[in-house]
Amino acid sequence: MAEDIISLIRENVIQGRVTRDDEGLDGGMVGQPGVTELTEKALATGIDVRDIINKGLTEGMKLMGQKFEEKAYYIPDMLSSAEAVGTAMKLLEPHLAQSGIKPKGKVLLATVKGDLHDIGKNIVTILLRGAGYTVKDLGNDMEPQSIVNAVREENPQFLGLSALLTSTMVNMRDTIQALEESGLRDKVKVIIGGAPVSEEYAKSIGADGYGSDGFQALAVIGSLTST
Amino acid sequence: MATSSIRNELGVDIKQVLSRMGYGTAGVPSARIESLVREYADNICHLIEPSYSHVIRDINSVRGSRVFIEGSVTFRSNVVAGLLKRCQKVAVFVLSTGGRLGEVVRQLSGDGLMVQAAVLDAIGSDAAETLAHVVQDIIAREAEADGLGISQRFSPGYCDWRVSQQKMVFRAMGGDTAGVCLTDGCLMIPQKSISGIIGIGPRDRVESYNPCPTCEKRDCRGRR
Repeated sequence: MAEDIISLIRENVIQGRVTRDDEGLDGGMVGQPGVTELTEKALATGIDVRDIINKGLTEGMKLMGQKFEEKAYYIPDMLSSAEAVGTAMKLLEPHLAQSGIKPKGKVLLATVKGDLHDIGKNIVTILLRGAGYTVKDLGNDMEPQSIVNAVREENPQFLGLSALLTSTMVNMRDTIQALEESGLRDKVKVIIGGAPVSEEYAKSIGADGYGSDGFQALAVIGSLTST
Repeated sequence: MATSSIRNELGVDIKQVLSRMGYGTAGVPSARIESLVREYADNICHLIEPSYSHVIRDINSVRGSRVFIEGSVTFRSNVVAGLLKRCQKVAVFVLSTGGRLGEVVRQLSGDGLMVQAAVLDAIGSDAAETLAHVVQDIIAREAEADGLGISQRFSPGYCDWRVSQQKMVFRAMGGDTAGVCLTDGCLMIPQKSISGIIGIGPRDRVESYNPCPTCEKRDCRGRR
């Protein structure tokens, strides 16, 4: 029974079905329970929250990530899955503490000064939350000093910086410099992402990692978590 | 300039929108995504507030990668210089689909409705591109009246033309930027806006111009 529900959660994450009203990636699934209904059922049945997250949501997202890498699925499909996971995580949030589940780490995310693009950053937010990280989104057009202040107050393990323009990506470098000047650089791993940046650019400005898309960002943070 | 008649010309190209969302020419969207795109495309009209402005400027001289335009404007780019030395004049334009669509995208995104936000954002980008074609046609008709042709559109950020050169494009507009503002980081507000230039000159010289041989971006997806 428990395995069946978890298996259905996993499948519905891949199908990107938030509720029973969604037709799903392959279509024709309207009326069948979606991730919301299945998560509620799993909680009501007493299934371990850890299993719901690890074997259902995270595994479903992992499979979606593989399909995305293989170019079998596309960005909107990945967003649908991320949306389903995000909804389930909201339902599970009140149960995390009593289940003894600790977050994998704390991540601050910001779009740097001068830039207002945030769709990519929001995707990363959902993926990280779904993977068990505590995420605080600082917003857009963030001054280096405001980011430094937030790092000082929040004490995160990771800081993700996003930019979509060649004219604003330089503010990633300024933010890292501001962290160095404030003596906080060694306290936080900095990961960057966005259309104009690259692995080489990340190295050149002293970032710890680069994510070419949401799943890559998740993988990079995962690898830095275990080091 | 802003007209409601132009709004009616901004039909949404579903294939283009899907292509922008990553499906390319070969990808098949799910039934949900396709119906969402169609639903938004049918109802986007009230979110689009088209505006545009263009000016035709004399090209004073071209020296190396620098192009000197009337009004103390200097464009710096090998690709732009290569184009404008073939031209008699340059049309400079700014256009926008307005800020309402962006506001709705931000609301959807903030509510965690990422698919809807991404679909609407892609439709907004398509509307801006369609408006650019409309403006290009207007400039083409003006050039044609003088027996001249027009080049492709170039915007700061294309080829070797730096985004920071937006400032020069805006200066060339002489104050009428169709309600579009430029931030210090050269981001246009509203975001679904396009600025750029179109060369005007003898058809055989401007229409055939291919910038790729002079551009160093070897990995460019638009390389010909």
